[in-house]
Amino acid sequence: MGRRFASLLVPGLAMLLAVGACRRASEGASEQAGRKRLVFKYQPLWGAPEPFHELLARFERENPGVELVTEALPNSSDLAHQFFLTSLEGGANDFDVLVADVVWVPEFARAGWIADLSEYFPPERLRADFFPGPVEAVVVEGRTYAVPWYLDVGILYYRTDLVPRAPRTYEELQRFAREAMAKSPGVQGYVWQGRQYEGLSCNVYEALWGHGGEALAEGGRVLLDTEPAREALAYLRGLVASGVSPETVTGFSEEEARRVFQEGRAVFMRNWPYAWSEAQKPDSPIRGKVGIAPLPTKSGEPGWGTLGGWQLAVNAHVSPERRRLAAKLIAHLTSPEANLVLALNYARNPPRPSVYDDPRLRAGDPFIANLKEMVERARPRPVTPYYNLISDVLQSEFSAAVAGLRTPEEALKRAQKQVDHLTGEGE
Amino acid sequence: MSGGGSLERERRQAYLLVAPAVLVLVGVALYPILAAVWLSLHRFILVFGERRFTGLDNFAFLLSDSRFWSALGNTAYFTLVAVTVELLLAVPLALLLNRAFPGRGLLRASVLVPWAIPTVVSARLWAWMFNPEYGVINRLLPGPDINWLGAPGYALHAAILVDVWKTTPFVALLVLAGLQGIPEDLYKAARVDGASTWRMFRSITLPLLKPALLLALLFRSLDAFRVFDAIYVLTEGGPANTTETLSIYAYKTLMRSGDFGYGSALSVATFLCVVVLAAVWLRLLGREEVSR
Repeated sequence: MGRRFASLLVPGLAMLLAVGACRRASEGASEQAGRKRLVFKYQPLWGAPEPFHELLARFERENPGVELVTEALPNSSDLAHQFFLTSLEGGANDFDVLVADVVWVPEFARAGWIADLSEYFPPERLRADFFPGPVEAVVVEGRTYAVPWYLDVGILYYRTDLVPRAPRTYEELQRFAREAMAKSPGVQGYVWQGRQYEGLSCNVYEALWGHGGEALAEGGRVLLDTEPAREALAYLRGLVASGVSPETVTGFSEEEARRVFQEGRAVFMRNWPYAWSEAQKPDSPIRGKVGIAPLPTKSGEPGWGTLGGWQLAVNAHVSPERRRLAAKLIAHLTSPEANLVLALNYARNPPRPSVYDDPRLRAGDPFIANLKEMVERARPRPVTPYYNLISDVLQSEFSAAVAGLRTPEEALKRAQKQVDHLTGEGE
Repeated sequence: MSGGGSLERERRQAYLLVAPAVLVLVGVALYPILAAVWLSLHRFILVFGERRFTGLDNFAFLLSDSRFWSALGNTAYFTLVAVTVELLLAVPLALLLNRAFPGRGLLRASVLVPWAIPTVVSARLWAWMFNPEYGVINRLLPGPDINWLGAPGYALHAAILVDVWKTTPFVALLVLAGLQGIPEDLYKAARVDGASTWRMFRSITLPLLKPALLLALLFRSLDAFRVFDAIYVLTEGGPANTTETLSIYAYKTLMRSGDFGYGSALSVATFLCVVVLAAVWLRLLGREEVSR
């Protein structure tokens, strides 16, 4: 009987042991050969893999004895965040370099999950070499916690055949849209992202900056209930209520907006640079009829697009030696040469201004080269460790205001109350 | 004497045989539940890097949290409407499938297709169909375009529709099994007595179907109360949290905000609601069994 019991238990235990042994064996094997493993967790870059693999292979050639292992993350930013939340909180040290969305760096730094890289990448040097927005997003309390890898920015797309030029003010945008809608029935004015998710927050921040506001006050307090914020929400709600934007934008994310625009059914669209290559495909009905511009503002000066994109950071749980090696890999992957490889092969915007002036970029992808002005003005969302803690609250209140369920005043008051509750006690 | 000994041995053997299964259950079911309860008694927000015991503070806050109550309301509404509609549709569907007609096997199989598609896939499918600008539903329906997933009044109903589409076949199958357990003789006798079809349905089919219906009610309402995937894919809880259910609120609090203490309290509250619901149904089911 005891034996029978054992016969049931033994295979299970054996399996557990085997799994453990395998892990240990693989670690041991690489150490025996005198090779150091460096694990890089990143999200797949769309496009042919060869140029990127060549970039990684070059690092291995320049650092003999290092074995570079890449591991893919889920493509959704939310899922990747969930992965890091659970594994880094659990002290995982089976990866060295990780890619972080622009809003995660302060959170991860505060939680002690990513290493201080100031000795390898002093903030002053980052400021000299990179655009100001991304540097602001990775430097927390004067220390560098990540290095910008590639970036994204919110821009305005417009139909060159329907409007005389790109609008500079909100008033112009609405007037141009109405005139074009009157001339071509069935075409909508302005499509953007109004669904309850992070993309809506980006649209709201852009309107906030365009009305002269800031989302973060002195001392790092997240301040929402302000006059520019009320104006921004009233502007966005007004677009929907007045019919310049279809009511359906309250259910739109990036792709919904892009499809409507791409079918030739909208005059203006707010979106990220990725929509450009789709619009210029040979079978696109709007090919050759699309222009890009900075987002409009209340005053008419070029607008500030939300900064998006990814940064490279080092897992704080790995040994100092691996940390040093990881910093070396980051330096390699964020070099001007690497920026160029990513821009030319994967249409990823370089975070270094100098790369935009490189003749190879101008010859290879003039669209990216033309983005320089907008990338320069890209602004990060509130740089605070609490960003993910509060963004959920913001999304639901912004959504309520845009859908007309609450007035901007009410929505902002409610949001401010909840945010203060969430962050208040942690100070 | 020796017989008793062998019985005793058999009993011990039985315990030993189920022991691995019990151990696995304790590991994968009981431990996470207890861990969630333990976490729910803490203030544990990842970015603050602190973890301290606060007793029932999270639950006290939960009672005053309007977002919790609206999520509970959405969940209850979703469950009530979806399960009611599913039962109302499933009974005629099962009666139809129970009849003998050519092609019945094929129909029975094809009815199950929606249920066989993974929820995330079917929800994505429906999200495209609901798309107000280029989705097929607005093209098929007369009248002005409806903003299915972006308008506060519509989004939750759109989600209910997706759930009804997906799980009605499952309920119909349960009802069908119940129908097939009713002896044909009862109908023959009723026919001899001159009972109408309606009378036979009311006096024979429905009472004898009650256990199957209650079982379907139990399965479906517990399932609907935990709804996450379909709604998450369709709306992520928007617009303005009008489709946010308890599971979605708990997920967002845990995994996006990194507020493990309060997120666990929300999970525990959801768990308690499901337990209460299950207890109520099981009591009803049990009484049904006794009265038979």
